[in-house]
Amino acid sequence: MAALPAGFGMPEFDLTEDQRALQEMARKFARSVMAPRAAECDRKGLFPEDIYRKGWELGLMNLNVPSEYGGSGLSLFDQCMIVEELAYGCGGMTTSIIANCLALEPILLGGTEDQRRSVLTPFCREYQMASFCLTEPGGGSDAGGLQTLARKDGDSYVVSGEKCFITNAPHAKLFTVFTTVDPALRHKGITAFYVPRDTEGIVPGKDEEKMGHRASSTSTVRFENVRIPVSQRLGAEGDGFSVAMRTLDMTRTPIGALATGIGQAALDHAAAYSLQRRSFGKPIGEHQAIQMKLARMATLLHASRLLTRHAARLIDGGQNATLESSMAKSFASDAAMEVTDEAIQIFGGYGYMKEYPVEKLHRDAKLTQIYEGSNEIQRIVIARELLKKYQH
Amino acid sequence: MEILVLVKPVPESESRLRPSPDGRQLDTEGVKFVLAGYDESAVEQALLLKESVPGSKVRAVALGPAARAEEVLRATLALGCDAATLLEAPPGRELDGAETARALALAAAKGPADLILLGKQSGDQETGILPTALAARIGRPGFSNVLDLRWDPGSNRFRFARATEAGEERWEVPAPLVVGLQQAWNDPRTAKLQNILRSRKLPIDRIPAAEVAAALGPAPRESATKFLLPPPRTGAKMIEYGRPEEAAEQLVRILRDTARVLP
Ligand SMILES: Cc1cc2nc3c(=O)[nH]c(=O)nc-3n(C[C@H](O)[C@H](O)[C@H](O)COP(=O)(O)OP(=O)(O)OC[C@H]3O[C@@H](n4cnc5c(N)ncnc54)[C@H](O)[C@@H]3O)c2cc1C
Repeated sequence: MAALPAGFGMPEFDLTEDQRALQEMARKFARSVMAPRAAECDRKGLFPEDIYRKGWELGLMNLNVPSEYGGSGLSLFDQCMIVEELAYGCGGMTTSIIANCLALEPILLGGTEDQRRSVLTPFCREYQMASFCLTEPGGGSDAGGLQTLARKDGDSYVVSGEKCFITNAPHAKLFTVFTTVDPALRHKGITAFYVPRDTEGIVPGKDEEKMGHRASSTSTVRFENVRIPVSQRLGAEGDGFSVAMRTLDMTRTPIGALATGIGQAALDHAAAYSLQRRSFGKPIGEHQAIQMKLARMATLLHASRLLTRHAARLIDGGQNATLESSMAKSFASDAAMEVTDEAIQIFGGYGYMKEYPVEKLHRDAKLTQIYEGSNEIQRIVIARELLKKYQH
Repeated sequence: MEILVLVKPVPESESRLRPSPDGRQLDTEGVKFVLAGYDESAVEQALLLKESVPGSKVRAVALGPAARAEEVLRATLALGCDAATLLEAPPGRELDGAETARALALAAAKGPADLILLGKQSGDQETGILPTALAARIGRPGFSNVLDLRWDPGSNRFRFARATEAGEERWEVPAPLVVGLQQAWNDPRTAKLQNILRSRKLPIDRIPAAEVAAALGPAPRESATKFLLPPPRTGAKMIEYGRPEEAAEQLVRILRDTARVLP
């Protein structure tokens, strides 16, 4: 198994000894705990709770939550480095492991100090999952058009509506949910809350059968007149859209890293196979056509890693990186699709068989083009940010 | 209980090894050195003892080039060791087992340890000399190939087994002693992320190269003259097949006609 490049000879991307130690720990967990179970969980659609629990124990679960609340408190750069390692072991397990980051980020960004302390501290003290509920059956990309209604009633809200494709929902103990106080207001009506699972009226649906990421769990969540106190609102009425978008600004870049990890696994499998499989009297890796594929795969992954780490560096430095993070997410996920596709091609007929690891990687890569803002939406964002620079 | 656990930085098992340009030793350029093998189990054993005997302290000790030894010691701190001592290896000097024992005796002399734990052999050179050489050097009872080490507070003794060719010995020994551990049964723990970060900031006590060199005495009379990698293995025969039955058929043919191990 080829080693992942740790740095790039460029000081801004080189890893410190501390980072290498974290990377190594995540790598060990991914390769010795996650990878050996990946195929079985994929085949049977199992949710390996013991692995998630172990990941939590090691501090791999609430990477973005500051340590004062009991999380790991890592920079986005370090989060990306770890997510890439985990995804090398299994993309689906990684989706479930990092779903807490997505679900808790709105509390970090939109919550008051009191809310952060009172919710996150007990939450991080034991192994628990949280879910981020934005997408609805009627639409995901157009978040301003969501329909889940929050009706003010005294010092609480009564929330009703349905969310779909919610990662970890059947297992979550806490939900962050995006609602509207008035659909006619569109973005300006979006209001965010956090709500514990045991609140009356929250009904997660059954686990969906998915193409990939089958070790993760995804379902609908119905909110049937759920009474949520005003004290659980994140920010003011109408702040929810900004909270959601700023959350996705933080979590988009790690999806680029997740895609890169899947792609790197595909390249490592394909390169090793190409030296071992023979045709026409030599290893297929000595045929130039295969070499061209491997060269392109490695280049795409290198570029993905640079884009991702660059966006993370900017965000860690407090800069706006909407453009760069959208570029990183869309490029890395498209690259992962191409790399995993070529890995199947290099494996030939065996690549198409479930007995070999690469077809799973292709199915897993696909999701990275869709969730946390589809690549079409990323490109809309990139173009918008780009054209701003040309307007006077 | 004061426990010293000795750890050696060894090349990561996946590293590509090659001889140095002068052909006399291993080329360590680009090779990553890690805590591994029996040493990793020894650290786990030390931590298990610490957890079972309240008030215990574990100090990890490594001998080697500073950067290498430091990384391994940081790994032990992240796992839960309380302190670490780094013995800087005198540059350019290859140490044999007896010299390594002399160097490590320096660390043992710094404080009264009830137990000095180490792997029964290192993960790279596997000479297996050190547990007994060190015990002899510091004048304490030494045991190697030790299994199932426990502390019995009732009798104030360590209880353990030794695996020998003839069978298993059971021992009860009071502190202080030196134990070379033989096992991988204790499933070494993984360091938590927060502990890795915390351990990076902990101090490491250092014994400088000059002090280590002085303890070694005169240069050894023997030295390695050549470092060779095992020759690449040849003669493997790949079986290409479509169905498993075809593979079995070919295999039987090879075993019968070529290898002649089947009638
Ligand atoms: C496995 C999985 C896990 C998920 N986890 C979560 C979760 O935890 N929480 C959560 O809230 N959501 C989650 N999602 C939802 C995901 O974020 C949405 O599926 C995604 O945002 C797209 O929304 P949609 O499916 O409604 O597609 P739509 O918005 O209906 O889009 C359909 C297609 O049209 C394209 N499109 C839409 N608008 C435009 C436009 N203006 N211009 C060009 N093209 C456009 C889209 O790119 C897409 O290709 C998950 C999804 C999956 C599959």
